Amino acid sequence: MDFVLASSDLGRVAITGDAVAQIVGLTAAECYGVVGTTTTGRLGRLLARDRTTRGIEVSGDEHGLSIALHVVVEHGLNLAEVASTVSNRVAYEVGRMTGLEISAVEVHIDAVKASA
Amino acid sequence: MNGDLDAIRRLAGPTIAALEASRSRIDDLNVYPVPDGDTGTNLTLTVRAVQEALEQLDDADRERLAHEIARAALMGARGNSGVILSQIVRGFADVVGHASVIDSPALARAFRSASDAAYRAVRKPVEGTMLTVIRELAEEAEAQARPDLAVADLLRALVRRGEDALSRTPEHLEILRQAGVVDAGGAGLLELVRGLTAAVTGEAPAEPPPGLEDVGLDAIHQELSQYRYCTVFVVEGDGLDRDAVERELEPLGDSLMVVGDESALKVHVHTDDPGAALSLGAAAGVLEGIEIANMHRQTEQRESRLLELVPDPRETEVVAVVAGEGNARLFRSLGVTSIVEGGQSMNPSTADILAAVDATSAPGVVVLPNNSNVILSAEQAAAHAAKPVLVVGTRSIPAGVAAMVAYDGTRAAADNATEMADAVAGVATGAVTTASRAVQLDGLAVDAGAFLGLLEGEPVAGGQAFDEVAAAVVARLLAEPREVLTLLTGESAPPLNGLLGRIAESHPEVEVDVQDGGQPHYQLLLSAE
Repeated sequence: MDFVLASSDLGRVAITGDAVAQIVGLTAAECYGVVGTTTTGRLGRLLARDRTTRGIEVSGDEHGLSIALHVVVEHGLNLAEVASTVSNRVAYEVGRMTGLEISAVEVHIDAVKASA
Repeated sequence: MNGDLDAIRRLAGPTIAALEASRSRIDDLNVYPVPDGDTGTNLTLTVRAVQEALEQLDDADRERLAHEIARAALMGARGNSGVILSQIVRGFADVVGHASVIDSPALARAFRSASDAAYRAVRKPVEGTMLTVIRELAEEAEAQARPDLAVADLLRALVRRGEDALSRTPEHLEILRQAGVVDAGGAGLLELVRGLTAAVTGEAPAEPPPGLEDVGLDAIHQELSQYRYCTVFVVEGDGLDRDAVERELEPLGDSLMVVGDESALKVHVHTDDPGAALSLGAAAGVLEGIEIANMHRQTEQRESRLLELVPDPRETEVVAVVAGEGNARLFRSLGVTSIVEGGQSMNPSTADILAAVDATSAPGVVVLPNNSNVILSAEQAAAHAAKPVLVVGTRSIPAGVAAMVAYDGTRAAADNATEMADAVAGVATGAVTTASRAVQLDGLAVDAGAFLGLLEGEPVAGGQAFDEVAAAVVARLLAEPREVLTLLTGESAPPLNGLLGRIAESHPEVEVDVQDGGQPHYQLLLSAE
């Protein structure tokens, strides 16, 4: 799925859902508390060859981009605050880099892991 | 075993006070991870949760105390920085809770444990943040710690290292460098270390070195959030359905979080309609702990605090007498502070100009009369003003525009006046107006109501056809080689297509700039430079 960033007489500039997912994945990896991303189902696991974009779904309509991501969070953190930061930061970074409206960012904490 | 509790309460007070004192300054530094200006507030709320827990505790041994503090920090963590701080506190408490003696080596181990705990919880640690500051503190503590080094001396060394680490955060993180700030979370952590050091040594907290945490002007422009209200509340009840509540709240905004169990749900949502969110909550159960914050207001407050910090560096401001809205905009865009409405047949009074001069804040002022009839009033105003005022005797709007090109607010008024007058001298100006009465022009009779072309205020062409008259003025203006021809269209200007076509043909080398001036009386004002 492609999203149009700009159009002019010379043509359109479009970004693929995969590219948006890359941005989401790289941003999420830097979010404090996030120690990994996961996939939802079997199909996702088969299709997601790229570690950066696994567990990330991007869709869009006239209201803007809708992003869902599945993450693993470090044990012993305030999950609500971590998820809220991830959601804010993903919306901010994707919006900043693409200029697209972000209508929703859904953060699913699929697992909690003690890494120490 | 109340000795430990008392000691910790004694240390916690000044530590937390140091952070609270810097809360709004730290809010202002916040550009990362999301520039929402709440880092100082989040850190303060997080440590207050610890303080509350300490107040409620009684009779606890050191280990249980450490556990309770870590737990309070976890539960009370607010925002990204609060979550990181809760890990730092946990790592620190782990060591201190088990240490039999708290000496320098134990403190070094505690800082190491805090740093490790903080780094553990992120896959890709971002340097130039709180993480960098806690890591460098741990490294410094390990390098310094010996059993014979007093804890107070170790802490003093840590404050110095922390200041150094904080000042280098913009080297690690590009967004900080662009905004001209140090990391907000790191600054908050350093305040806590400063406060703790003051509490241990009994000295007043060390002043930060000047300039270290100055907030740059660029920080103002970091912006965010499409929704206005951050809304938080708790719903209490029986058999609450978390998923249903979440589904209902979903359409209201973003950053939605619904956590808890069947008996209590905590809701966090950014929305433009907090009332609707509360109504949905109230339908499910009893509301508790409602907090609604206006995020736009938080951002605005931060902007106005920052703007107050920015001194006006101008040595010279400009007051210009201008007719026409477009021209007023043009002059403002060129740096004029104050516009006095006026011009041909509506000359402003000396008092009008004087009032505009008085409204400026720079030590010197230049006045541009932009009309020969206004020069005298401008000079009168200059003579009566309380500060140095110089008049650059511009006789037309285009001459004023030419003068503004040479204006530099950071130079003294006298220097500006000289440069601006030179710029005016290098510019030829013309105008097309309507003859208010019949005139004789080199044997050519121009009827009242016909177009009249002026060069430097003197009639040079006349006739019923606008294009002919304007082209005649342009020909005179471009008689000498010129680079730029500026046209300011008046409020009753005819279409310029014909004129522009002619100029392109006869003088293809000249760059033509057309601006909507909106001045009365003159259909066209022209300048060539």
